[in-house]
Amino acid sequence: MLLELLRKYRTPLLAGCLILFALLLYSANLRHRDHTTLFEKTILQLTSPFQKGLDLVWKAVSGAWDRYLWLVDTEGQNTRLQEENRQLKAELVALEEVRLANERLRKLLEFRDREQLSALPAQVIAEDAASWFRTVIIDKGTDDGIREGLPVVVAEGAVGRIIRASAHDARVLLITDASSAVASLVQRNRTRGISRGRGDSLTLEFALRQADLEVGDLVISSGTGGVFPKGVPIGTVTRVAREEYGLFQSVSIAPAVDFARLEEVLVLIGEEL
Amino acid sequence: MKRVTTYLLLALGLLVLQTSLFPRVLPFSLKPDLLLILVIYLGLKEEIPRGGCVALVLGCMQDVFAGTAVGLFGFVLLMTFLGVRALADRLNTESSLLLLFLTCCGTLFESGLLLFTMVLFAEPGPVWQVLLERLLPQVAINLAAALVMLRIALWIQRRRDAQVGDRVLQYLDNRYEH
Repeated sequence: MLLELLRKYRTPLLAGCLILFALLLYSANLRHRDHTTLFEKTILQLTSPFQKGLDLVWKAVSGAWDRYLWLVDTEGQNTRLQEENRQLKAELVALEEVRLANERLRKLLEFRDREQLSALPAQVIAEDAASWFRTVIIDKGTDDGIREGLPVVVAEGAVGRIIRASAHDARVLLITDASSAVASLVQRNRTRGISRGRGDSLTLEFALRQADLEVGDLVISSGTGGVFPKGVPIGTVTRVAREEYGLFQSVSIAPAVDFARLEEVLVLIGEEL
Repeated sequence: MKRVTTYLLLALGLLVLQTSLFPRVLPFSLKPDLLLILVIYLGLKEEIPRGGCVALVLGCMQDVFAGTAVGLFGFVLLMTFLGVRALADRLNTESSLLLLFLTCCGTLFESGLLLFTMVLFAEPGPVWQVLLERLLPQVAINLAAALVMLRIALWIQRRRDAQVGDRVLQYLDNRYEH
């Protein structure tokens, strides 16, 4: 009787079991977010050579196009760059003076520079498979000393943190992803808040209403979130709105990093390699 | 088994395209959801035991390259497959336009289900804003990708049919020519 019932409702039962299994799998993985499963490692390892190959081919093709074929405004660009070079040289001389003065002052104040973090350079080889999320894949993995939770930066500012790592590559959750949050400070007046991703931009949450924020203020990491060291630029304030009521103000931030042109990044390893 | 392996290898290839090529050629971080189109095709062609398991694995493969936890796309693509499967018997599955229509509906269904699952299980942040902002462009780009994939599939089918036809004619010639 039971067997007959099972046979009769085999397909709906199987569909129900699959749905239940999928939900349990998702729920279990949510609890172990900072852990890369064997399945993930295998898929990442399998696709890594193809992604790296495609990356190389793309760079070769676009390089050939830019260098040898698309030369429409090369002359104008050359003139502009020469002019810029002259200006930069002049600025460099001035900056060298500032650096020397800074060095002297540091010695004078017996300033102790905080311990520098080792940085591992990596190349971005692929992006998130869906349009809704913001992650990238880099060409360094656990074999190079990378592990989940490490911060990723570029010269301009914060990029994200490692969420998955296999032997030869790793996935980085960008700070612009909706599920990403970074403990932040407004550099000018030290207002605290949480920078949360919004796809292509960020918002500063929990910034108190009475805090004096202005468009153009630089937002940096506060160092209290446990991922980014203190002082890494997050972005600049582009809009401030204060409602009549409420504890907090609504602040939009343009990221300091141009994520559309992200190619090389630095993973802050922590200890000496 | 051969068909399942073909689906899995095809999905891996599509994922490589989706992660490595499309972000470089398409603007605004938009990329077509090729696995969704493959799952819709599965829903039209495969029965629940085989197709359901394949859809779940394909979703988990997409999870490796999208979002933050394995299982989200696994669940969403499985539900999409089951939805299409439930409708497949009432539809003319030979129609090319049907795939385009289902791609459009599938994208809306996938986005809604993604949001629902994330709100129910995780702390998604303002992901609904991102989803709403990008929903229409995503539908458009998925439709374009479905059209291209349909053209390629039809071309492959026509070539294969022609080859099979040649072989049948050859066989008949040999059989009846004396």
